[in-house]
Amino acid sequence: MLAISLDLTENANLPLIKVRLARLTAQSGNFKPMPQLKKSFHIKGRDFIRAGEASINIQNLLKSMDFDPRLIRRVAICGYESEMNVVMHGGDGTLSIEVDNDKLILEITDDGPGIEDIELAMQAGYSTANDNHREMGFGAGMGLPNMKKNSDQIQVESPPNDGTVVRMTFFIPDKGKSD
Amino acid sequence: MSKKLTSTCFVRFDRDLCAGHGSCLRACPTKAIRIKKKKAARIVEQCIGCGECIRICRERAVSAATEGPDFLDKDQVAIALVSPVLYAQFPGVMPKDVLLGLHHMGFQHTIDMSYFLEMFQCATEEFIRRNQTSNQAPWPLISPICPIVVRLIAFKFPSLLPNVLPVLRPVALMAREVKRRLIPEYLDKGQEVVLYYINPCPTKKDPSCLPARQRSAPAEVALGINDIYPQLIKHVEQIKAADAIPFYQTRFEYETCATGNASMWGMSGGEIADMDIDRSLAVSGMEETIHYLEKIEMGLFQDIEYIEFRTCREGCLGGVLNAIDKYLAKSAVQKMIKRFGLGRRLHRENILRMYEKGEFQSEKDPSKLTSLFGARKEALTIDAMQEIEKVMQLIKGTDCTACGAPDCRTFAEDVVRGQATLKDCLFTGGQGKTKR
Repeated sequence: MLAISLDLTENANLPLIKVRLARLTAQSGNFKPMPQLKKSFHIKGRDFIRAGEASINIQNLLKSMDFDPRLIRRVAICGYESEMNVVMHGGDGTLSIEVDNDKLILEITDDGPGIEDIELAMQAGYSTANDNHREMGFGAGMGLPNMKKNSDQIQVESPPNDGTVVRMTFFIPDKGKSD
Repeated sequence: MSKKLTSTCFVRFDRDLCAGHGSCLRACPTKAIRIKKKKAARIVEQCIGCGECIRICRERAVSAATEGPDFLDKDQVAIALVSPVLYAQFPGVMPKDVLLGLHHMGFQHTIDMSYFLEMFQCATEEFIRRNQTSNQAPWPLISPICPIVVRLIAFKFPSLLPNVLPVLRPVALMAREVKRRLIPEYLDKGQEVVLYYINPCPTKKDPSCLPARQRSAPAEVALGINDIYPQLIKHVEQIKAADAIPFYQTRFEYETCATGNASMWGMSGGEIADMDIDRSLAVSGMEETIHYLEKIEMGLFQDIEYIEFRTCREGCLGGVLNAIDKYLAKSAVQKMIKRFGLGRRLHRENILRMYEKGEFQSEKDPSKLTSLFGARKEALTIDAMQEIEKVMQLIKGTDCTACGAPDCRTFAEDVVRGQATLKDCLFTGGQGKTKR
């Protein structure tokens, strides 16, 4: 728990909070100054109703930071595709976003069965979805190909029976240079 | 205007009536409202005019920024531009009799919008047919009819602006026709002309649609249906009771309306029901609309050609300025369709000829919309985001709204931006803003 007393009699403005937070940080050692921002969202496997929520949260986070709408859209598409992969195959997982000055990193991890043949899974139209998935309109085999298409770099790690990690990087175009 | 009113171009807040319970805070989709000093006050830039605050306020402290009922000036030529939702407010009455009622009220001309909706429908079908080969705009195309949806996209989903169908909206087609054919002769005679938009939502006072008024142009006024309903119903009752309805000579086809499909436009799905499109969807309701837009942004629904969005449940029949309940109105529309059937009035060939001439091309620049309704706030930096996270940890996060912000996250943002102080939060030992 946070054991601090805020002096609220005077106008509790930001510098004051900053000082107190800094003190708090020094005491507890919980906060380490980080160069970038990282947010993680939990994804529950087989929960088709709530699938997509993690990506929507990431979308909203990025929107409040005013990135190029086209960049946000690319991240959103990748987020959704990776989220659906976890919901369909992967058991439980985590979708996280790291915001740095020059790039965004979207990372999805799960504790599922892993991908047997990554190269094959990267091909458009290749799908391991079952009939049940297809009936719901999923499983067209475009997940990883779409993620590859919409990100600047993609890295897939999937040791057998040890879950999957997909890391996608998006470079933030220099504001002065773009368009 | 008295001091007690806080207003945007769409809605007004009456500070005397406001009880400060803050239900409008949560209802606002753009989080534009804050409670200051126990009364609602708002951040004007972010209002998109959806009217959700009007709908939810128990104290009726929020009203639309439309005109009052005592508006008709004898010296002016009053032209009523009528949304087809008006017909649904009078169950069992023919659309043409409703228009006649407006004449009795003192409007010299009544313009039936459904005529132009039909025109829009034809042009939309044509655009979609061509887009299948040209891919001028990305799928799914989004209906531009609901102005709130378009503003919501500009504000929250700017990456979807290219998906908005670039065909002129029926209201624009209607205003253009009236300005071309009807108004010049009155202006030549030196008479003053006023255009009254009679509609069910507080959005028609669109600052992007109404440039500074020129001397030769007519004044444009937005009227809520509930503003004129008490007067109009008297005239409509009289017309219904009369044995022989006095015949009114109209000069243009769009000055009256006789078919059942006119009223259908007010229903959710009414826009696409009669359209010749293979894969279309109709979505209504603010939450549902936002949810679908989020999904489109994530790349879903690219196999759908056209999506009709209405932020009011059940479509425009659910508009906040209507006179009767949306389900009663819907039933009235269904009965009317059953009795009079559907049927188009316009010839497709004529519309296609107009289409070839570029008469339907929307000239509205999406970037203009973004500048009007896009995020006005300064963008948050990585540092600011980290500050927000820290504030969030301090304030527990129960979204109680006692601080006057719609939720903890927004409050934390306000604190970091310097627009609120931590002592507004009850959980840090503060007093709150809504406590009485």
